[in-house]
Amino acid sequence: MIDAIAALSAEQGYESTKIADIVRRAGVARKTLYDNFDGKEDLFLAAFDAFLVEVRGAVEEACERTEGVWQKRVEAGIAAFLDAVAANPEAARMAMIEALSATPSASARYDAALREFVTLLRGGIPAGSNLPETIEETLVGGVAWIVNQQIRRGEAGRAPDLLPELSEFVLSPYHGVAEISSQPGGESDSTVPDSNT
Amino acid sequence: MDRLPRGRHGLSPEFVARNQRERLIAALTQVLYEKGYQETTVSVIGQRAAVSKSDFYKHFESKDDCFYAAYEAAIERIRAEVVASCASHGQDAWSPRVRDAIAALLRTLAADPALASISLVEGLRAGRGVYDRYQSAVESFVVYLRDGAPPAPGGAEVPAVTDEAVVGGIASLLGRRVLAGEAERIDRLLPEVTEFALTPYLGTAEARRIVSGG
Repeated sequence: MIDAIAALSAEQGYESTKIADIVRRAGVARKTLYDNFDGKEDLFLAAFDAFLVEVRGAVEEACERTEGVWQKRVEAGIAAFLDAVAANPEAARMAMIEALSATPSASARYDAALREFVTLLRGGIPAGSNLPETIEETLVGGVAWIVNQQIRRGEAGRAPDLLPELSEFVLSPYHGVAEISSQPGGESDSTVPDSNT
Repeated sequence: MDRLPRGRHGLSPEFVARNQRERLIAALTQVLYEKGYQETTVSVIGQRAAVSKSDFYKHFESKDDCFYAAYEAAIERIRAEVVASCASHGQDAWSPRVRDAIAALLRTLAADPALASISLVEGLRAGRGVYDRYQSAVESFVVYLRDGAPPAPGGAEVPAVTDEAVVGGIASLLGRRVLAGEAERIDRLLPEVTEFALTPYLGTAEARRIVSGG
């Protein structure tokens, strides 16, 4: 049923997806659906949560598995996220596009999910970066936006191609800080171009 | 927007119609902010705008039709402020221009929470039709950042994905703040948002210098 609502809302939108469509696609009785879920919204939220658990699990696992500097772990996390989107384009569309406009609870769920990834990113970088407090929020929002566009174009399967650009985008503010703090007045400064050119 | 005087006023029918349409758009934007999408009905909009229900339907086919018009009007108001701030800079001054454009954006949103709400929050929450408009609106602001942007530190060209991610990231942050009821204070985010926008192009140190240098 979870797969059915993900697929149907990806295909035709949440609003147009009827309980009758879901039970037909899932091959279950209407009663079975209502035995397990309160209704369409409850099922949708369950599908959203299932995808979130899967993606977050994959990201966390990739970060833990990766050895070496923290930048490598962040990059592995982004790669795992992009792979999860590519592996399940329908669920990704349901969770990253449909959820935004499906119902108020669904968009609140999306917002909470973004927050979880903000916390995850924050936990993955060294403390004391002295960057703006909102930096991780904007970075996570930016990545979500790019992946969202990719899904909308029907190219979720090629999301992993975005890895080099997105890693650079996410890591670039911290590069600066690492260079500044480790080598004050060092070579990093000489590579900064004149801002007014 | 003030309603027109009753009875004979010597105003042309075109003027009255345009005035009604603008009042309906303003009323929808305000009621939406106060009550949310569900409770923003045609009769509530009409009451607020002092326009009869039958006159409402002369201007719009439905609530959603009025919503789309209000959404477009909101985006164009924001764009006008951003474009005006860009126009005061020459082509060679990329970073001050970006900083001032972000300042204009934040100032406009902070001054009018109802405008901030329809453009950044309700646009995502009012169904597919508006969501598509939200997408195009966010994309349409990328050009103001990309135009004249310098190469990244080290000389490589900053990829197009970065331009889009910066704009999308800012929209996401601002939307979440508006949703949290902090629209009035959104202009306080100016240093953070500007540093975030400049960093991929200038590096952290230079971005920070521009933000703090004023």
